[in-house]
Amino acid sequence: MIETFGLSKRFANETAIEYRDLVFGTGRSYMLMGASGCGKSTLLNMIAGILTPDTGRVVIDGTETSSLPQKEKDRFRIDRIGFIFQDFKLIENMTVRDNIDILRLEGIDTSGAGALLDELGLGRAAGKKVRQLSGGEKQRVAIVRALVKRPDIILADEPTGNLNFAIGEKVVEELLRVSRGKTLIAVSHDDRLAPFFDEVIDMNGVTGGRRSAPAQEARDD
Amino acid sequence: MIRFALRNLAVKKVQVILVILSVVVSAGTGVLAYNTAAQVSDGITGTAAYYSAIIGPSGSKTQLAMNSMYFTDEPLGVIPYSLVEELLRDSRVVSAVPFAMADEYNGYSVVGTSPEYLSGKRLAEGEMFAASGECEAVLGYTAAKVCGAEVGDLIYTGHSAGQTHKTPLRIVGILERTHTVYDSQVFTQLRTIWVLHEAEEEEEEEEEDHDHLELDGMVCAVMVKTRNPAYATALVGEYDGKVVSYDKGSGEGASLYTLTAIEPMATVRGILREADNTRYIVFVLCGIILAMNVIVVSIVTLLNMYHSAAEIALMRLIGIGMGRINLLYLVQNAFAGLLSTVLAFCVSRLCLGLMGGYVASMGVVLDPSKVYPAELLILFCVFLISVLPTLVCTLVMSRRDSLGS
Repeated sequence: MIETFGLSKRFANETAIEYRDLVFGTGRSYMLMGASGCGKSTLLNMIAGILTPDTGRVVIDGTETSSLPQKEKDRFRIDRIGFIFQDFKLIENMTVRDNIDILRLEGIDTSGAGALLDELGLGRAAGKKVRQLSGGEKQRVAIVRALVKRPDIILADEPTGNLNFAIGEKVVEELLRVSRGKTLIAVSHDDRLAPFFDEVIDMNGVTGGRRSAPAQEARDD
Repeated sequence: MIRFALRNLAVKKVQVILVILSVVVSAGTGVLAYNTAAQVSDGITGTAAYYSAIIGPSGSKTQLAMNSMYFTDEPLGVIPYSLVEELLRDSRVVSAVPFAMADEYNGYSVVGTSPEYLSGKRLAEGEMFAASGECEAVLGYTAAKVCGAEVGDLIYTGHSAGQTHKTPLRIVGILERTHTVYDSQVFTQLRTIWVLHEAEEEEEEEEEDHDHLELDGMVCAVMVKTRNPAYATALVGEYDGKVVSYDKGSGEGASLYTLTAIEPMATVRGILREADNTRYIVFVLCGIILAMNVIVVSIVTLLNMYHSAAEIALMRLIGIGMGRINLLYLVQNAFAGLLSTVLAFCVSRLCLGLMGGYVASMGVVLDPSKVYPAELLILFCVFLISVLPTLVCTLVMSRRDSLGS
């Protein structure tokens, strides 16, 4: 179970985002919806330990991950979280297989990658360089890299953001299929994907995050 | 880790090749310069240390040393063989070996001497020419190999390729390879030189214009070993500038010969002092090349790291720790550095091999298999230089985690 308590994050441009408390149940899929800049991706990054919240706590299965040292956050992320990025975060000049095997640097067993690539229709692309792939194929590679280590939690930041709806819909279907039984939190601004998820959380306004400038905050106070 | 590092290097092959080329040029030049200088110095002093004194005709002491020990340059002239007998009677002298050089065989100098001149040299096949015989030859390894000569073959020597003596020499032995100038010579009895030139003089007695040395009963130098160095100094003092008379018995009366005597080590040290200046210039140039190498490698590495910033950020995002990333880049650059230094070493040996063939004809033989500890030190320093920029970069990166930026 993932719980967040009183999270807020302030950025260099003085924008601050405050979050209401949230709970994500184990084995369920969630879709975070909301307008651009409402803090969906920031929330995922704070859960993953990529960003450290200015206030509040992230608790995963009883462990307060937000207060761990960076090294331990890295270890937690590599061991337990599969992160799928909107822009794939793949090394373009390397092969599909190399992009997955990069996890072996941290001792992750990637022997299941072949089966996952086959399952997502990329079995023949393993030796291809990433730059030779289409957007949909790249996203599938990113999914394989996130799932090959068998994480408990999958965080997907706009997994269909760079794809057209037809391909995006297919990618989401595949993502949900291969991540069955795991906690999946996906960010999307496309409400047509909402029916695929167990629960949809609207991050706009009071139901999700609150975006404010410092002056506005002062007035609110 | 290593597999991924190699894959990552393959992706950046242009930058990697630049680094490798830079290191190969600088390290290869440094090692080559050091090895050449050291081998020339060792070769010269090693041979010079073998004799205590050399006595020859008046003229340049350097030329006397270079001709009689390294077979370079022309002989200064001739002195009577009776001097050898005189020296052998001297109680201070252990040995006095005659040396005469007048002919050539396919470009390889023919040295007339006694078997003692080759003492310490081993035969690959055949036997040493007999001290009392004549027209027998022992060939150096290279001379035999290049000319395809074998034991039992007859060879015709002469003043040049077109002017050979009518009497052939029979090859009785071939020396083992020594990686010295001895590999490129033909050795025969002193008597053989006399016999060949006596016959020639008879043929040419009516010709006025023949500019080669009259060698009958003469030698070009006497190589002397004394019982101790003090005797050598005394001997040189006695014979240097001495005038001796010799009557060939041809009815022309006695001729006068002014002698030059040298202590080979002292003469060679003088030559090496000049060579040391050249070596110093070479080392300064190597230093400049190495400094340029540091700059080039640093710039290329920094550019690599700059271009790798996105890659590092990506690895951080998926959970790879900074320690692992630093190690990855260190392994990559260490591998490139290692490959570069190994290549630099191979290139230097290749150059030594190529140069060896060329400089052997000038009396200097370079052995590509000879490795000096200082060369390994130079290569190790270059390896460190090629890895150092990565260490600095990774240290800086460790302090500035790209995560979250």
